[in-house]
Amino acid sequence: MTQSLRPGSREPAFLLAPGLFFLLIAFFFPTLQLLAQSVIAVGSEAGRLTLEHYAKAFSDDFYAGIAFRTFKLSIIITAICLLIGFPLAVAMSRAGRGVRTLLILIIVLPLMTSVVIRTFGWLVILGPGGVLSWTLNALGLIDNSVSLMHTETGIVIAMVQVLLPFLVLTTLGSLNQIPKSLEEAARVMGAGFFRGIRHVTLPMSVPGLASGSVLVFALSISSFITPSLVGGVRLPVVAGSIYQQMTGSFDWGFGAALSVLLLIATLVLIVPYMVLTSRMGGR
Amino acid sequence: MKKIKSIGSAAIVLASFAFSNGAFAQETLVINSFGGSYEETHRKLVITPFEEKYNVKVEVVTAYSADALAQLRAQKDNPQFDVVHFSGGLEHAAAAEGLLDAIKAEELSNYGQMYDFAVAGIDKGIGPTYSTAVIGLLYNTEKAATPPTSWKDLSNEAYANHVLITDAASNTYGLLGFLMMNQVAGGSLDNIEPGLDFVKGLLPTSTVVSKSPEIQQNFAQGNGWIAPYAQDYAHTLTKAGLPVKFVQPEEGGVLAPITVNLVAGSKKRDLALKFIDFSIRAEASKGWAEALRYTPTNKSVELADDVAAEVVYGEEAVAKLVTFDANKIAANRAAWNEAWARAIAK
Repeated sequence: MTQSLRPGSREPAFLLAPGLFFLLIAFFFPTLQLLAQSVIAVGSEAGRLTLEHYAKAFSDDFYAGIAFRTFKLSIIITAICLLIGFPLAVAMSRAGRGVRTLLILIIVLPLMTSVVIRTFGWLVILGPGGVLSWTLNALGLIDNSVSLMHTETGIVIAMVQVLLPFLVLTTLGSLNQIPKSLEEAARVMGAGFFRGIRHVTLPMSVPGLASGSVLVFALSISSFITPSLVGGVRLPVVAGSIYQQMTGSFDWGFGAALSVLLLIATLVLIVPYMVLTSRMGGR
Repeated sequence: MKKIKSIGSAAIVLASFAFSNGAFAQETLVINSFGGSYEETHRKLVITPFEEKYNVKVEVVTAYSADALAQLRAQKDNPQFDVVHFSGGLEHAAAAEGLLDAIKAEELSNYGQMYDFAVAGIDKGIGPTYSTAVIGLLYNTEKAATPPTSWKDLSNEAYANHVLITDAASNTYGLLGFLMMNQVAGGSLDNIEPGLDFVKGLLPTSTVVSKSPEIQQNFAQGNGWIAPYAQDYAHTLTKAGLPVKFVQPEEGGVLAPITVNLVAGSKKRDLALKFIDFSIRAEASKGWAEALRYTPTNKSVELADDVAAEVVYGEEAVAKLVTFDANKIAANRAAWNEAWARAIAK
């Protein structure tokens, strides 16, 4: 009886194979190649192992400054996504069927648009003489034209819009797992709205919030289209610098070293976060 | 009936195979072009007339300069291209790597009609410049009360807060404009500090953009009044309905040549040379000026006044154009990119 329910040991391997194969080809192999490139010298001593690329990244505060800005912005973006996304997800989980479908549609719709197109939309809104500037002017709040283009605030606004769906959808998944009776029980036992949220809904949606925020953080730390279009060249982020090294300066070794450092730094932040949140009621 | 038709079409297919290696087959030349409206114009001015004149087929692969160079490198032992077009100076890198072949003056019937700069490097594998972009100053004719006359006008208080600077690290036109500011500020290709200082002085009252659509957007929204950029782009903006004009500053505009090059090891060298010769003939050079406002490199071109006013026209004006040593640019590019990024980063 138990034998027939337990899948054969080969079956999972069989099912995993295509995914693993793809991961191997499209992720592990290029990552290893990048790792190799980052420690191999070019030029007169081509082929020799070297740490010069890493030394360059650490030797001056220009790249440290870029890294600091990148992490700072990613943390802010993730925090704002959590602040906006959690209440939104709660509202969506409690809404009627029709309203919920509509809200999901509104949230998901931007994902169907190319990130470049969406970002250009922000250029029109945030730019000098754009909608934002015009509105503030019309309301008499400002005299001159104001622009959030080429500012860190602009990057955060545009990135939150781009990444919010990832947090809302994963959190909504978690919220839908919570039996309605638990919240009802809390209310019956005298918990107010906020207390119910704090002690029942929030802890039980931690898995969704955790994976959602990790997703948002990882995407924002590695994104370069939106930061480079909205932030401009004077506010470089790490991914943009890597892109510039690879395609503009053709310094692949240094670009590879920056990539490896970004990967390590991201893992150093994400792994403890995952461990911590899984202890807080997640899986 | 259906059967007969299919037998018939099979016979046609077979016949075409049989002839494809025979004397009836058209020769095919493989070239690159840059896509979009550029490629459209390219077909109209050069490619289609060439096919008709010589009864050959020209296969066009859409590839920008950097992609074309990467493909040439990858195909070094068995080149698939016969002719390659470059903008942004990459022909110098390609020639230095032996990917392009030298051309003799007597191999081009139009050689004598060309400005010297346009054919200066053909013996080293750098193909003729069949037209050129010119980098100078674009300004908004409604907002800028007095038109700029000098590169130094970028720091003129009249334009403060409305100056656009193009990123030199990611944009070739931006780099050429920067090198000119550097020269005017007293620098040279061996010392870009004066240029960096000049730009640093502009930064507080200017916007740095990296792509041409951003220039259009800033001009359209009234934020940009003056920008160092290409003359042909001024025409693009005018066509979009913006009040924009181009001036060649008194210190000179910068040449940004577009070249047509002979690929080393091409199996159709003779036909490729005919194509290159056809590309630099006066009629084509004139067409580029009329359609997209690229400056003609063929001296015998005669332009109508309205077109002539929007390109650099005539030997006297052309003589003022400045050329920067592309080999030095290539050698210093990485270091300059880094210095530039540091100078402009907030």
